Amino acid sequence: MEQNKSGESYILEVKNLSVSYGHVNALKGVDIKVKAGEIVVLIGANGAGKTSLLETILGVNEIKNGSIHFQGREISGDSADKIVRSGIFLVPEGRGVFSSMTVTDNLLLGAHHNLKGAKSKMDYVFSSFPILKDRKNQVAGTLSGGERQMLAIARALMSSPKMILVDEPSIGLAPKIVNDIFDILKNLNSEGYSILLSEQNVYKALKCAHRGYVMETGNIVLGAASEDLLNNPEIRKAYLGA
Amino acid sequence: MSLPLYYYLAITSIYILMTWALYLPYRVAHLHFMVVANMAISGYFGGYAATQWGWPFGLALLVGIAIGAFISFLVSFGIGDAPTFAVVIVGFTFIYITKTAIENWDVIGGTMGMFGIPVVKNLLLYVYIFVLITGFFIYRFDNSRLGRAASAKFVDRDLATSFGVNTKYLGMFLQTWAGAIGGACGVFYAFLMNSLFPDFFTFHIIGTTMTMLFLGGYTTLWGPLLAAPILWGLPLILPTGVASWKQIIYGIILIVILLLRPEGAVTRKFLRKLQVKLKLVKMA
Amino acid sequence: MEVFIAQVINGLSLGSIYVLLVTGFNLLLLVAMIIHFSFPIVVVFSMYIAWIVLGLTGNNLFLGISAGIVSAILLNIITAPMFQHIMKKRGEVDINSTMVLSMGLGMIITDFLSHSINKGFPIAFPDALTGRAEGAFLKIGIISMSRGAFLALIVGIIFVLGLFWILYKTKQGRAFRAIAEDPNGAKLVGLPILKTGFQSYALTGFLGGSTAILMAILLGSASPGLGDQLGHKVLAVSIIAGLGNLKGGLIVGLSLGILEALVQGYWTGTWSNAVAFVIMLIAILVKPKGLFGMKL
Repeated sequence: MEQNKSGESYILEVKNLSVSYGHVNALKGVDIKVKAGEIVVLIGANGAGKTSLLETILGVNEIKNGSIHFQGREISGDSADKIVRSGIFLVPEGRGVFSSMTVTDNLLLGAHHNLKGAKSKMDYVFSSFPILKDRKNQVAGTLSGGERQMLAIARALMSSPKMILVDEPSIGLAPKIVNDIFDILKNLNSEGYSILLSEQNVYKALKCAHRGYVMETGNIVLGAASEDLLNNPEIRKAYLGA
Repeated sequence: MSLPLYYYLAITSIYILMTWALYLPYRVAHLHFMVVANMAISGYFGGYAATQWGWPFGLALLVGIAIGAFISFLVSFGIGDAPTFAVVIVGFTFIYITKTAIENWDVIGGTMGMFGIPVVKNLLLYVYIFVLITGFFIYRFDNSRLGRAASAKFVDRDLATSFGVNTKYLGMFLQTWAGAIGGACGVFYAFLMNSLFPDFFTFHIIGTTMTMLFLGGYTTLWGPLLAAPILWGLPLILPTGVASWKQIIYGIILIVILLLRPEGAVTRKFLRKLQVKLKLVKMA
Repeated sequence: MEVFIAQVINGLSLGSIYVLLVTGFNLLLLVAMIIHFSFPIVVVFSMYIAWIVLGLTGNNLFLGISAGIVSAILLNIITAPMFQHIMKKRGEVDINSTMVLSMGLGMIITDFLSHSINKGFPIAFPDALTGRAEGAFLKIGIISMSRGAFLALIVGIIFVLGLFWILYKTKQGRAFRAIAEDPNGAKLVGLPILKTGFQSYALTGFLGGSTAILMAILLGSASPGLGDQLGHKVLAVSIIAGLGNLKGGLIVGLSLGILEALVQGYWTGTWSNAVAFVIMLIAILVKPKGLFGMKL
């Protein structure tokens, strides 16, 4: 695993990444790094490229230029299912749970690539999220927004990932639920999961994360520790309305 | 002129028309196979009117066109705005029902067929005039606001609505027009061959016209114009052994085109490039 | 009254076959995301292969049946890359192109059968397979069923149950349903889309091949035109039930079978088919999106 000057290792390294959809350049030479055991947040307006970046890391988009390294190994160009098997899982924007399938089935989908030990993983997930256990035979479409977010996160855990990508977890959720979700993410992080998330709720995200990157129209314009970002006057003006 | 050449020119013109009849509704992604049923119905009507009631060709043609248009118009109330697969199955069903009705109706010849339809002098001329008129109107349509809306609807229905066009009426219009052309083809065919058999109006016509439409290119009217004579002419110059595998060859051509060049030989991009080259030649 | 009951029972057997075909069609639609118009023609092709092998091996039932099933699976798997290529090319799913591709395949197979096998004449399956000579296989009071009808019904039930088991209790089935609901979402959770689509081709190939054998037993004969006819009915059933609606397909398929059997019982001639088509035509014109709603 690549090590920086102070000897820490990066679990994810994105170098000079460029992605286009037809004529639209969604990502223009993006550089970000995530250290093992960190929570890093991507901030930016709609259309800044946050989702594109996360989905490209997952292997969904074609890379025009640049590279992605995970745990020291290059994964640029790998297919999504191969990347999931390597240890990255995405919690998509809008939850992405399958409404017509039960909670249990949704969870099992997370473990699709390795069903061995799925039972014990589900027990672990149910003990962390008792609400899901209560609803385990219910169809996911009947769950509330917050419960669905929990399901999406739990589903990610079922794949025993090393790193979890979370796309806009707070969208459409009440403030109290958003707090719960961020607590869950912090707990997961303390259990050893590295997390890269994109968020519009800048304040809560920065309070939860170690570091953050600011994106604007496909570029990274700033990358710093979250306290520095919170205290940065331009950031405060642009994203915190202060 | 020689007989084979006469038939070749006449039949390819009819196929050009039938492919155009398929082309028009496909501008909004409808594969309106019902035009084959229109062809059968109007063809039999024209033949019957001429042999039993002594109608002249012109009258039979006009009424045949009207019948084709009318039937398609009625049906389009249901499928003017339907998804493509619904249009397809309605077309197939109509063809099947029509064929069954013809086969079981001895008055019009049943499975034995209808004979004795009178010969028309200058039929080839009339067909060509019809081709020119139809082609002209299709050209006008394609370059009109309606035509552009149709292209939009092919891509995305809501996009078409933003043109201020009612997608259902557009679908109905195209299907009715296609039905009219189908009806005309039926009458032309009846008076060309002077006889009709239900076996002709089978899915072979669908296969042939579909291959013509997709090989030539379904985004412009020139595609079918080019593809019909070539595809029809090819089996004629091949040895008869190979020629009997016509449908299989058409099927293979269709698949290859879909895989390699889905928009067909003559696409809008191709036409634009051609226009640019012609301009350069003119200037030089 | 006896005629009525007898025909309803026959109709259920015929209906089971429609249900199997529609379910295969729907699976391909939902999981492989194609409209495989000519899926029933592939099935008829397997019937022919089974007939050929039966002829070559002196009516060896095991070989004949296996040949039928394997040929369907192979044909599906060989044509799968073509469909998947078209879909990838268009960026998003272009269902119309897959329909046209399927029709092209159908043209080739139908014409091949018309030309090359038995000189285009209908083929008849030997009594060893159909059990025709044995007379009624099952007799309960006034109800009597031929072996073919009985098998079609039983196997139909078993397969439909088996299919639902696969869909709801296995890993592949979960993947099928996920892709059917949301192909993009399925990709985002790392489900292998192409591989799973491929599996659905194999599964429906097996389904189609088995249906071919059942049809051979039930109908006793086949012709090149059978594929077209069957294809239109299956497509119509699927549309009327609502494209992709498995449970709807079950109901409409059985209903069509019963309807056709009743019409055949009381009305001779080719009109029985036509009546079925007329009713389907009306249903589609009135509700183009299907009676039970599309799951597309």
